[in-house]
Amino acid sequence: MEAASPYAREVALLDRASLARTIVVLAALAVLPFVANAFLLDLANQVLLAVIGSLALMLLTGFAGQISLGTAGLLAAGAYSVGILSHDAGAPVWVTLPAAALVGATLGLVFGLPSLRLRGLYLAISTLGLHFIVVYFGGEYETRQQLATGLTVDPPSVLGFALTSDRGWYFVFLAGACLTLLIVKNLLRSRTGRAWQTLREREVVASAIGIDVQRYKLYAFVVSSTLLALAGALFAYFRSFVSIDAFSLYLTVQYLAMVIIGGMGTVPGAILGAAFVILLPYGIEAFAALLPARVGNMVFALDYAAFGLVMILFLLFEPRGLVGIARRLAAARGKGRP
Amino acid sequence: MSEPLLEVRDLRVAYHRIATAVHGVSLAVPRGAIVALLGNNGAGKTTTLRAISGFIGLDDARVTGGSVLFEGEPVHGLPPSATAARGIVLVPERDKVFPNLTVAENLAASTSPRVGAAERRRLEALCFQVFPPLAELRRRAAGLLSGGERQMLGVAGALMCGPKLLLVDELSMGLAPRVVEDLAARLKTIRDELGITVLLVEQNAVVALGIADYGYIVESGRVALEGPAADLRGHDDVRRHYLGDGGEHRSYRAIKASLAP
Amino acid sequence: MSLQLVVNVVVLAAIYALVGVGYVVVYRASRVLNLAHGELMMVGAYLLVGTASLFAGSPVVAVLVAALCGLVMGVIVYVALMRWMTGQTVLAAVLVTIALGILLRGLVVLGFTAQQFYPAAMLGWRNQSIEVASGARISAASAMLLAVTVVVYGALFLFLRFTRLGIQLRATGQNALLAAQRGIGLNAVYAFAWGLSTFTASIAGMLLALDSGAEGQMATIGLKAFPAALVGGLDSFVGAIVGSIIVAMAEIAAIQYVNPLLSDVVPFLVLLVVLAVRPWGLFGSREQLDRV
Repeated sequence: MEAASPYAREVALLDRASLARTIVVLAALAVLPFVANAFLLDLANQVLLAVIGSLALMLLTGFAGQISLGTAGLLAAGAYSVGILSHDAGAPVWVTLPAAALVGATLGLVFGLPSLRLRGLYLAISTLGLHFIVVYFGGEYETRQQLATGLTVDPPSVLGFALTSDRGWYFVFLAGACLTLLIVKNLLRSRTGRAWQTLREREVVASAIGIDVQRYKLYAFVVSSTLLALAGALFAYFRSFVSIDAFSLYLTVQYLAMVIIGGMGTVPGAILGAAFVILLPYGIEAFAALLPARVGNMVFALDYAAFGLVMILFLLFEPRGLVGIARRLAAARGKGRP
Repeated sequence: MSEPLLEVRDLRVAYHRIATAVHGVSLAVPRGAIVALLGNNGAGKTTTLRAISGFIGLDDARVTGGSVLFEGEPVHGLPPSATAARGIVLVPERDKVFPNLTVAENLAASTSPRVGAAERRRLEALCFQVFPPLAELRRRAAGLLSGGERQMLGVAGALMCGPKLLLVDELSMGLAPRVVEDLAARLKTIRDELGITVLLVEQNAVVALGIADYGYIVESGRVALEGPAADLRGHDDVRRHYLGDGGEHRSYRAIKASLAP
Repeated sequence: MSLQLVVNVVVLAAIYALVGVGYVVVYRASRVLNLAHGELMMVGAYLLVGTASLFAGSPVVAVLVAALCGLVMGVIVYVALMRWMTGQTVLAAVLVTIALGILLRGLVVLGFTAQQFYPAAMLGWRNQSIEVASGARISAASAMLLAVTVVVYGALFLFLRFTRLGIQLRATGQNALLAAQRGIGLNAVYAFAWGLSTFTASIAGMLLALDSGAEGQMATIGLKAFPAALVGGLDSFVGAIVGSIIVAMAEIAAIQYVNPLLSDVVPFLVLLVVLAVRPWGLFGSREQLDRV
């Protein structure tokens, strides 16, 4: 199969080699739910859902170079949109999801606008505000509705088929992750993506060559927020339950950890980081069993300490994250060959 | 003949690892002299000064070759505080004072391991002697000073570090001619009375050659011409190209050809 | 508005102001936003819990030792961690502080368990309720906190204005490169700034713990003090005071007249409003905007 022309080759999303790799990977992924046990399947679901969020955050932090502390708030906003609409209004899934997306985009616009006038760190501040505001409204809603523990959400149904099985969810998440991946990859290849790249590296240069820095910053934040809200919406359906307690600043830090540990500014990094962060607590739980009971029982604290430590180590020694490590290993292996 | 205070040998500096700004500059600054480093914008003068003073990290620049020797010891690659401790102090082109500190506080901020309390007092008195206008502006915030006053404060702040070698980057930038003459005279006083060696980077060749003993002309990162100041003042091409002296029009190519090493 | 409300506002403002000092010191010296400040404050409180069990009979010794440890902690944080981030982007430095905060939260619980501690009781010190005027009361710990805040700001003002180290700290914050060239040792200045920051944070944490106990959620107060410091302009100490008063007033008013749950939100709402109108804070300097 001859590639059409040099230009077409460059523009094509995948070249022949990676096309083959992608097909293999997709095939493996498609088979997984039929060979894995229930525990692994749930893990896979968690990872895939996290990938959507981490790609969204990677877009903003890793590529456009903006810090956002509003991840949990945006996830919560999406989850509550679904929760409230389906619980109070009985809205079906093809209404709630776009609604969640709209909420995400609106929040992105509202909290991103101040960053038009201000620089990098002020987005961090306004998103911190976003977090507390969303948490407040979520808490208020639960109090008003007298929902002591949280909000139950019926499983989404399309054309009469209710989505309840883990296997079903797996394919939904897989589709969602792939779709997000495509969106992100395409954005990065577009003029917008190149603008973000320049933004991240040299903001002064970016504005000097005529990139409307502020507009692109805002755009990155709005896209990222929309995706996060959608991830939150899926989460609400997946767990059939929404409670404000699930959306703490710790959740925000976990997503930041995904981006840092995976490797800032790389798409595979977002995926690796998501997997690492989701799987780490399980590893710690296993490790905790080896520790004396007094310490071993405080798994939550161990999680916190481990996350903090791992993030610091990566930020200090391998800012390019797991992807950086992988590349180093590949380079070392390459050199070793005769 | 004693060795020069400062010696730069075949210095090379690159920006962002790709754009070479300095392609092998060599110069020597004798003790107690005023040496001028001339050339147009972008010729590499400021970069050379930065490499000498350790201020090199700006704009991702690095010394990629050659050496800088101060009193016989290599100093290239040392951090700014280390070169200052040895006695090389820079008055930078921009941001030469602390804008939100008063004049007095600017002077107090300077510090050096070679300057004790008594010496500080002496130096401060000296600063106000050499720059009398500063004495009245003691409590004024540095950001509110005029261009000339700010330049004076920049030099005074450098003096407070007890330098052996004073590097001055663009004394005249943006200042009125009379102010510049005044500053140049004071620079000469500093050399004459304090015995401080001066390396002066200047676009304004008239002013620089007026007070210097020796001069180097830098073009595109290389030394195009050097010599005692008097010789340079009389040099035809220098006069036409840098001193604005009239004479018949020569093509740019011809001038460049004559200036190339 | 009753006198008690006024007292509450003053106490809350003092808390935010005392905690906020640390944000301003570190930011002014090194342009770094220390988002672990709340956790460092919490560690200070637990330091007191630690020394309280060692020096059960002498509260003064316990407090002094804990405060000293707090200062050393800041120096260690800089030397062991923040120093290595100076070459990297501001983004990375802030992320490191976030990671540090999480690490500290975990370590504190691992070291002390998640239960609540009462150092006042451990030291045998009664936190009396003092009557200020008719119907308005203030706890002894809060009164001390108020006094300490005044002393700290006064001392800081004198230090920054009249001592050479203070001037050098300000100089470094304005132009680190020039400061280095003028012979100022940047590492020493930064280490000192961090030490000073955690010193004041620890004292704030200890006083809060003496008043209402030490537990993990304390760190949130640190996070709420952040908007107070920002409202004033992150590089102004006067601004930190004014910002604290404004935020405290808004917060108490909201709790009293609208909804107690708003207490965590109000500081950020105030901040967002102020940033929309005056992005560099009320007393900040415009140029700080660009440096961020």
